[in-house]
Amino acid sequence: MEKVKQKDLILYSGLIILGLAAPYLFSAFKVQLTYLCVLIVLAMTWNLQGGEMGYNTFGNILFYGLGMYLTASVQVGMFFPLAEWTESGGEKTFVHTTAQYFQGIGVGLLVAAIIPTIIAGAIGYAILGLRGHYFAICTLGLGIAAGEIAGGIEIIGAGQGFTTPPFPAEIVDAEARGKFFYFLSFALLIGTFIFVKYIYGSRFRLILNAIRDNEDKAEAMGIQTMKYKIVGWMCSAFFCGLAGGIMGGLIGYIDSTDVAFDGREMGVFMVLMAILGGKGTLWGPVIGATLFHFFKEGLWTLILGWQYVALGVLIVVIVVYFPEGLMGWLREKYPERFGEVIDEKDRKAQVELK
Amino acid sequence: MNKIAKLFVTFISAITLALVSFTSSFAKVEGEYIVLGSAISLTGKYSSNGVHTQNGYNMAVDRINKMGGVEVQGKKYKFEIIYYDDESNPKRAAQLAERLIKQDGVHYMLGPYSSGLTKAIAPVTEKYKIPMVEANGASRSLFTKGYKYLFAVLSPANQYLEVAIDLAVEKNGGKGVKIAQAFEQDAFSQDVRLGILDAAKRTGSEIIIDDKLPKELNDMAATLAKVKAVKPDVLVVSGHTKGALTAIRQISEMKVDVPMLAMTHCDAAKLSKQHGKKSEFALCASQWHKNLSYKDKFFGSGKKYAKDFQKEFGYDPPYQSAESSAALLVFKDAFERANSFDRDAVRDALVDTEMQTFYGNIKFGPGGQNVAKPMILFQVRCKGDDCENRVVAPTKWASDKFYHPIPKWSERS
Repeated sequence: MEKVKQKDLILYSGLIILGLAAPYLFSAFKVQLTYLCVLIVLAMTWNLQGGEMGYNTFGNILFYGLGMYLTASVQVGMFFPLAEWTESGGEKTFVHTTAQYFQGIGVGLLVAAIIPTIIAGAIGYAILGLRGHYFAICTLGLGIAAGEIAGGIEIIGAGQGFTTPPFPAEIVDAEARGKFFYFLSFALLIGTFIFVKYIYGSRFRLILNAIRDNEDKAEAMGIQTMKYKIVGWMCSAFFCGLAGGIMGGLIGYIDSTDVAFDGREMGVFMVLMAILGGKGTLWGPVIGATLFHFFKEGLWTLILGWQYVALGVLIVVIVVYFPEGLMGWLREKYPERFGEVIDEKDRKAQVELK
Repeated sequence: MNKIAKLFVTFISAITLALVSFTSSFAKVEGEYIVLGSAISLTGKYSSNGVHTQNGYNMAVDRINKMGGVEVQGKKYKFEIIYYDDESNPKRAAQLAERLIKQDGVHYMLGPYSSGLTKAIAPVTEKYKIPMVEANGASRSLFTKGYKYLFAVLSPANQYLEVAIDLAVEKNGGKGVKIAQAFEQDAFSQDVRLGILDAAKRTGSEIIIDDKLPKELNDMAATLAKVKAVKPDVLVVSGHTKGALTAIRQISEMKVDVPMLAMTHCDAAKLSKQHGKKSEFALCASQWHKNLSYKDKFFGSGKKYAKDFQKEFGYDPPYQSAESSAALLVFKDAFERANSFDRDAVRDALVDTEMQTFYGNIKFGPGGQNVAKPMILFQVRCKGDDCENRVVAPTKWASDKFYHPIPKWSERS
């Protein structure tokens, strides 16, 4: 046991060092690396519902979008009249001082973590009684509705969109902004990973798995499934809200349906990444998100105009050949490496059966 | 666990290698090429206008290169553009702008299509102090942000249809009119709406329907049903290409009678070709029309541009293409006047731009918008089954009289 832990330690410290060094090693790729961190966070938190709890949610984009709008609104509203900032067409620009900018984004992110969590609790209470497809479809509606509603609220810019505060001009270093958002998202990634890893070692995960495998039985065993489902979703909402807040600041412009409540892209990607890597595993979503991001960044521009066709093909390939994701596939192929004990006779017997 | 750890190490080193080998070798000026970058909507809801924009850029690049290129410090350079597809998504556009600047080393940018995407890219170009000449972001809010590196060759969006309201009031004997309006929920159309609100206030007109339409516009029957019921004097619709197509399709299907119909993006939607007689009498705001009398030495006149464009791409150029071509003329002019590739020198030269192109006069105001060129209005008119856009306002260029009111559907053949 001790030995394994030491190996883990090497792996983790290696990854952290790589993560910390990355913006200096690949300076030109800071924005993509920031996206990668956020994508991994989204995939990992989706995996809590979709993978561990067996509830395929398309609603996590709601928390992501909320976080985005909340962070930006707080960041502006703390120091300036928000309505004048976003006033359609007029859009006055007030200049944040360096201190105001960072205070604003700090408080904004705090709000972006808390409010989506509360909303997840409230919505979860209302709809987590639904199961299977019904839940999936219901959550699909959440993101779309939120996008349309946000597009009609004047104070956050409505259809005009919301330009988030520009990075303080007093900081002359053009790289500073990229670094700031990278480290912010990297910190979020580490926080999320530690949290999810903690969950993986806890009774909470077993309860989520029990809900996934047979909710009625779980309930019959005296588990208050509703409570755990809601808490699980609130955990995801917490991290999704933060991820959204960071992305809003990074992108610099929030559009209701294309950037914030972007169910068609981000909302689908988070599911896809988790499934690609292998849902229901700790590392699956991480690997899935990384592969997906590289695929997207590396190949999409080479096949201009055909990228969505390629994405479609990718989805088909994943579903047909890796229904359990890469981690699931590896596990099936090399079960020993995952610490599973295999009865050789049993395996041979299976082969002969074929 | 051991094996998994190894797997990870392999995986990560592979990524590292890939990233390192990825770092590209482009630079702002490479050999005899000046490299410009642009994220363009080749897919998604703006794809048709994205292609118009790209065709406009390409046409101008070819023409300028063929006619000797850009002369800087006695040496001739050619233009080259790196394109990425932003999928009509602002998030992607901002990311690609970053990529163009940081990875491809682009030092001069051309704008994307639509105000929303320009709004997403402008903070990035501003941050890296990259001059961007854009031809398709008309939202007024782009020009109130104090951007120093953003230059737009087009008139701001709020000016698009103000003239139409003035026309309607004029036809009404100077009295205010009843306006019904429906606008897509996006930065551009909402700005057009603000222009109408201003015009309504100024002329004492009343807005009796004020609807918002979703993006990916395919249906506006609810608005049209209301229009049928309350009979406004003017119906104003704006929602990019899809908005124009949807409006004409449903107005003709539902036989909505309204004395005046004002829209945007009629020429990009090729309304007169796609809907023929159904689109007759529609009044359209445009940045440019081929019959205007502007001239330059690269494209000659608007008519000649239209002819050459038709030959190359097989359709009549909408103003989106014309203004995009003009953006490159502006860049060429600025490079030559700056006589340097220094970004700030080029930027300063852009500020001082004052030129005439086939597309119109170009001079940038303090916010970066073009202040030297008025908007025009044209009306779709048909002879038999052959429909055409005819300029009706302003009077200086009008080739035809404005036809008003639109005959009822029951009287139209």
